[in-house]
Amino acid sequence: MAAPSFDAIVVGSGITGGWAAKELCERGLKTLVLEAGRPIDPARDYVEHVPPWEMKFRGLGDRKALERDHFIQRHCYACNDYSGKFFVNDRENPYTFDPDKPFHWIRGRQVGGRSIMWGRQVYRWSDLDFEANARDGFGVDWPIRYAEIAPWYDHVERFIGVSGERLGLPQLPDGQFLPPMALNCAEQVVKEGITKRFAGERVLTIGRVAILTVPHGGRAACHYCGPCERGCITRSYFNSIGVTLPVAQATGRLTLRPYSVVHSVIFDEQRSRAAGVRVIDAQTKEALEFRARVVFLCASTLESTRILLNSRTARFPTGLANSSGQLGKNLMDHTMGGGANGTIPGLEDRTVHGNRPNGIYVPRFRNVKTAHPDFLRGYGFQGGAGRPGWGRVASQPGFGVELKRALRSPGPWGFSFYGFGECLPRPTNYVELDAEKVDAWGVPVLRIHCQWSDNEHKLLHDMSVTAAEMLEAAGAKDIKPFVDDNAPGLTIHEMGTARMGRDPKTSVLNAHNQCHDVKNLFLTDGACMASTANQNPSITYMALTARAAAYAVEAMKRREL
Amino acid sequence: MNRRELLGGLCATIALPVFAGLPADGLWATGRRVHARARGRGRAFQVLDPHQSETVATIAEMIIPATDTPGARAAEVHRFIDLLLAEWAADDERAKFLQGLADIDARARGAFGTDFLTATAAQRVTLLTQLDGEAQKSDPTQPAAQPPFFQQLKWVAVFGYCTSEVGANAELHYQTIPGSYDACTDLGSWRAAPGDY
Repeated sequence: MAAPSFDAIVVGSGITGGWAAKELCERGLKTLVLEAGRPIDPARDYVEHVPPWEMKFRGLGDRKALERDHFIQRHCYACNDYSGKFFVNDRENPYTFDPDKPFHWIRGRQVGGRSIMWGRQVYRWSDLDFEANARDGFGVDWPIRYAEIAPWYDHVERFIGVSGERLGLPQLPDGQFLPPMALNCAEQVVKEGITKRFAGERVLTIGRVAILTVPHGGRAACHYCGPCERGCITRSYFNSIGVTLPVAQATGRLTLRPYSVVHSVIFDEQRSRAAGVRVIDAQTKEALEFRARVVFLCASTLESTRILLNSRTARFPTGLANSSGQLGKNLMDHTMGGGANGTIPGLEDRTVHGNRPNGIYVPRFRNVKTAHPDFLRGYGFQGGAGRPGWGRVASQPGFGVELKRALRSPGPWGFSFYGFGECLPRPTNYVELDAEKVDAWGVPVLRIHCQWSDNEHKLLHDMSVTAAEMLEAAGAKDIKPFVDDNAPGLTIHEMGTARMGRDPKTSVLNAHNQCHDVKNLFLTDGACMASTANQNPSITYMALTARAAAYAVEAMKRREL
Repeated sequence: MNRRELLGGLCATIALPVFAGLPADGLWATGRRVHARARGRGRAFQVLDPHQSETVATIAEMIIPATDTPGARAAEVHRFIDLLLAEWAADDERAKFLQGLADIDARARGAFGTDFLTATAAQRVTLLTQLDGEAQKSDPTQPAAQPPFFQQLKWVAVFGYCTSEVGANAELHYQTIPGSYDACTDLGSWRAAPGDY
């Protein structure tokens, strides 16, 4: 029997796979989306409104199951009783690394991928970011500039709904924003302190977030229950299940096949084209093939690269589309966790009502106008203010009526800055196929080699200094700078390993996320990134995906593909 | 500090799990004891015998007593503790917890010539005050050090109470859908919401 044939195959149904599906279907292509994991039924699987007393371990997590099945995933804050089911089973999905150089690979295999439990922060890049590699010589130059992606940021923001405040900053371009969420009382105090002391050089704003503050596109505004990573039955935050995939489905051109583990891309040596993909059915372990005129890899940074590494052919013995030798190289992740916290005096009679699933943002201010003597590139801060509630009570002295009263009397306002810094592209951070180990479906696993460099360590240290300065400017007390030691991977902004570039000799993908070597093969997830900037990357993946899909369809119409 | 806390506005951050950081060596192991169905509704106790569960329930109620709202006993905190001991704690942690309970009786017998449960209310308060004072003196900056038993019990009593239906609703006015966000309002307007857990 001939393999089923489509106009397009999209591997992955997460944040980029959903966008590829939407754009390709809307532009007329009969599209097959292959998802390695199971289907998700929001009515059954979302648990954001399940109260703690209905969870067996009240949110502590099933510790023994976590130790057995989630020994990597549990490093992520969201992998608990509620959302743990959205993270892969680490026994079925192994990977290897040198124990001295841990990499925490946090993964979701289900329809929707990690768009179900993503952090929802969305920040545009600017030319400060797209020109960074060319400026300091790390990595290769991005083949695009802001002007080329700006209309696609607009396109994505208008569709997904992004709330935020316009700032007019060149290093963090404004977008198509819905009304911003409000800063709370203590955040206002800190904002005023920063504005006075740093006069426009440092700016505090509310996070720009893919959460609706007003109804948008048939979806309801946020109701402020708080834990978005458990799902959202009102579709108030963006994920692919609730927003992009339904639009793709409505065209009548979408076929979504869950339980489809893509093993490799089928390469037609004679025509030098991708002919389709090889799939292992996750339930039956049956080997299947699907054919298409164009293939989009949207399986997540390391999964897409793994598929290419595993697609070895006579012409590409080290992995498909790897004539440059760059496939697997330059793995990056944002370096996270330098900052400071402190107490904001006063406002004792004030609190908030509702659980705002968003914090503050301080856009990059290092190496923007003047060069810093100690390090390249920069960082931004997330964080926010709040009053500690009952969680602090157990460590207080005493017991009885007074201790109980403290449960409903919050502590003083605390404020925390938490930095996210740029990671330099370095060929010494790379992935390869492990020579021996395979996953539960027999697919060779990745061996990951990744370490922070001196530049990232310096960024972390500087975060702790500048965060403390801002708290001091705001009149905070008990200021405590800190530098958390987070393994690479844990920021869950892993990027690179199939970078975009101008030169086929030094990059895997061109300016349209098209493989230099295989013209009908596209890769639009985080693997394509030639650098990381310091902004959360998902919106850039989405914009690049939509842009690449439009390009692919036009090229097909011109019969170039 | 993690991203959940910072995005959740730092409210109701949950301290370290009760059993974390206990050393494995040098402990006597009781092994898992499964006892007959205890009084009251719900499923059988899996680890705590009637004397132990009553001791836990009594201490938990002393930590969070019934006032204008129900206390830890009404929230069945002792049942949640039994569940954690049975299905969540490691063997050595369970043994250590049970040892801590036994130690309370030993102290009561030493001081008052009777078990904790049969001591007078005033004697129980004296003993808990003593235990709390010792727990407060332990060095919290030493993460490897074993949290004192009373500190563990207090943590799980507070956690078990605040995450119970009784405690979350009566004490913390749990609200599933706040509906809007008020960024600066009167203290009395605060409600616990899903994101606090």
